[in-house]
Amino acid sequence: MDFAYGSKTALHGINLAVERKRVTALIGPSGCGKSTLLRCINRMNDRVSSARVIKGEVLVKGKNIHDEDVDLTQLRKQVGMVFQKSNPFPKTIYENVAYGLRVHGENDPEVLDEAVQRALKQAALWDELKDRLQAHALGLSGGQQQRLCIARAIATQPDVLLMDEPCSALDPIATLKIEELIHQLAHDYTVIIVTHNMQQAVRVSDHTAFLHLGKLIEFGDTERMFDRPKEKLTESYLRGTFS
Amino acid sequence: MTDTTTTANPFAGDQSSVQRRETAVRWSLRLSTLLIVAVTVSIVAHIFIKGAPITFRSEFPFVNVKFLTELPGTLHVIYDKQGKATETDVNGADAIKKQLGANFREEKTISYSGGGILGPIVGTALLVIVSVVVALFLGVASAIYLSEYASKGKRVEMIRLAILNLAGVPSVVFGLFGLGAFVLTAPVFTDAPLERSIFSIPLGFTYLSFQGWDTCVLSGGFTLAFVILPVIITASEQCLQAVPQGFRETSMALGATRWQTIWRAVLPFATPGILTSSILGIARAAGETAPIMFTAALAFKDKLPWQKDLPPLPADASMFAHWEQSISRFLGIFTESVQALPYHIYTLAARIPHNEYSERAQYGSVFVFLVLVASLAATSIWMRRRLRGKYKW
Repeated sequence: MDFAYGSKTALHGINLAVERKRVTALIGPSGCGKSTLLRCINRMNDRVSSARVIKGEVLVKGKNIHDEDVDLTQLRKQVGMVFQKSNPFPKTIYENVAYGLRVHGENDPEVLDEAVQRALKQAALWDELKDRLQAHALGLSGGQQQRLCIARAIATQPDVLLMDEPCSALDPIATLKIEELIHQLAHDYTVIIVTHNMQQAVRVSDHTAFLHLGKLIEFGDTERMFDRPKEKLTESYLRGTFS
Repeated sequence: MTDTTTTANPFAGDQSSVQRRETAVRWSLRLSTLLIVAVTVSIVAHIFIKGAPITFRSEFPFVNVKFLTELPGTLHVIYDKQGKATETDVNGADAIKKQLGANFREEKTISYSGGGILGPIVGTALLVIVSVVVALFLGVASAIYLSEYASKGKRVEMIRLAILNLAGVPSVVFGLFGLGAFVLTAPVFTDAPLERSIFSIPLGFTYLSFQGWDTCVLSGGFTLAFVILPVIITASEQCLQAVPQGFRETSMALGATRWQTIWRAVLPFATPGILTSSILGIARAAGETAPIMFTAALAFKDKLPWQKDLPPLPADASMFAHWEQSISRFLGIFTESVQALPYHIYTLAARIPHNEYSERAQYGSVFVFLVLVASLAATSIWMRRRLRGKYKW
């Protein structure tokens, strides 16, 4: 796939097959296009008016998501996303998790209760928060806020969960919790995570893709790639001797 | 080591001249500021000293009930031969004259200075309600369009510039615009179009006639709405922009449509700011005189807008007829001309001969007016504090 912002091509000939119910990490230096690639998968780049796919396709569940008959709201319901900066709405914890269901027209309190409980459990927040669901979300710690954002993203039961540097604003302990959570989530979801922390990629992912200047340099099993990178470029990046 | 005392100061300069200049600048800035404060304080103090005794009373119920609950009227002052003055209204004058008999010397009448100022208070309230409802609806709608929908570019910048320029238009121009647009041209449904109607469209059962709404609350309220629109649009847009971009992204990423995102994840968090700005808009709308002079306000009116003579219903009138009459009485409020505080003050100050009695009415009105505007401003500050605490991110 080729992808561009206006006349500036950001991604060149990316060809990548992500395995279901596995964690795939996208790594690479700043500006290499890993976030752009992530945002292609739920078409968040549509918000930038000059952004467009030059050629190629993004297949999710076998369907090219840039086809005209793809309903964006349905796509994003099935491809959830967690952002770099945790940004819970200034509402209650409950309303934050229920947001995605509400915008899809779900108003039945029983269904909502159940979905909120399930999402919070999956995000390992239920035990901490079950007694204060009506508390304000901004009263939570940074790590809890980010896990709440994960709960919000999985409340609609997507198939794919995209994470854009979800730990970069967190302290090491909160980071560790999120990483454990990612392992858990991989039982139910296909997780694609962008990270600039290579140790994190090793810790959480099954497969890793290394991007550089908008090109996919190497893609494969994480352990193998970090032990025996095939490409010179990958090796120098992983060894930190990057020029 | 001992050298230090003999080393020439490398940072020597003409200290005294520098310091003098600094002091001069600081004092001229300080004096300018103090001058402004002094002027403000003296204006407020003057109005309080002259106006508060008219509005308040030293004994129970501590306010001048008559002044706040009666309509304005002509004040009759009757002097006896000893020079003692008695104040009364038009109905009381004859009785007092008869009682004085031969002791009666002269009677003075002072227009608009008797009674109270309920009429102007009610009129201003109605004008403010209509203008704020109209301005909030139009203003927030266009702020949402400019901030959330319109693509950034020359066209939007032109629109913004036009809105900012609207804020600079003299208010009397808005008054004339209101006269032309709302009083004389705006469309109404009527069975019998007036001769002055620009054109009328027959609809079969009735006509849509472009003959204007006449001088009334609706015309004045719409005119005032356009006066405060620039403030509301600009402030609302800033409030919308202040909502973190992340809320929009997250909402969209959860599959919300653009409107759902605005309605659920942007507007609620911009509302405190929008309301604050709208209250400042209220203060502005309440204070304007020129826009309502030709569109809504009368110098004098002896009835409140809802005191209209409607034909009495027959005894066997149906529920529906009663209901219909209540509705038409309610809607009738907005098609009545009214008195308004700023215009009443103008009338007292400039349209009648000046004397102690007119001055009294004038200061009383100004005081009440000032208190109303100040309490609106205070409400806005209080609301901002309260809501900021609740919706901080």
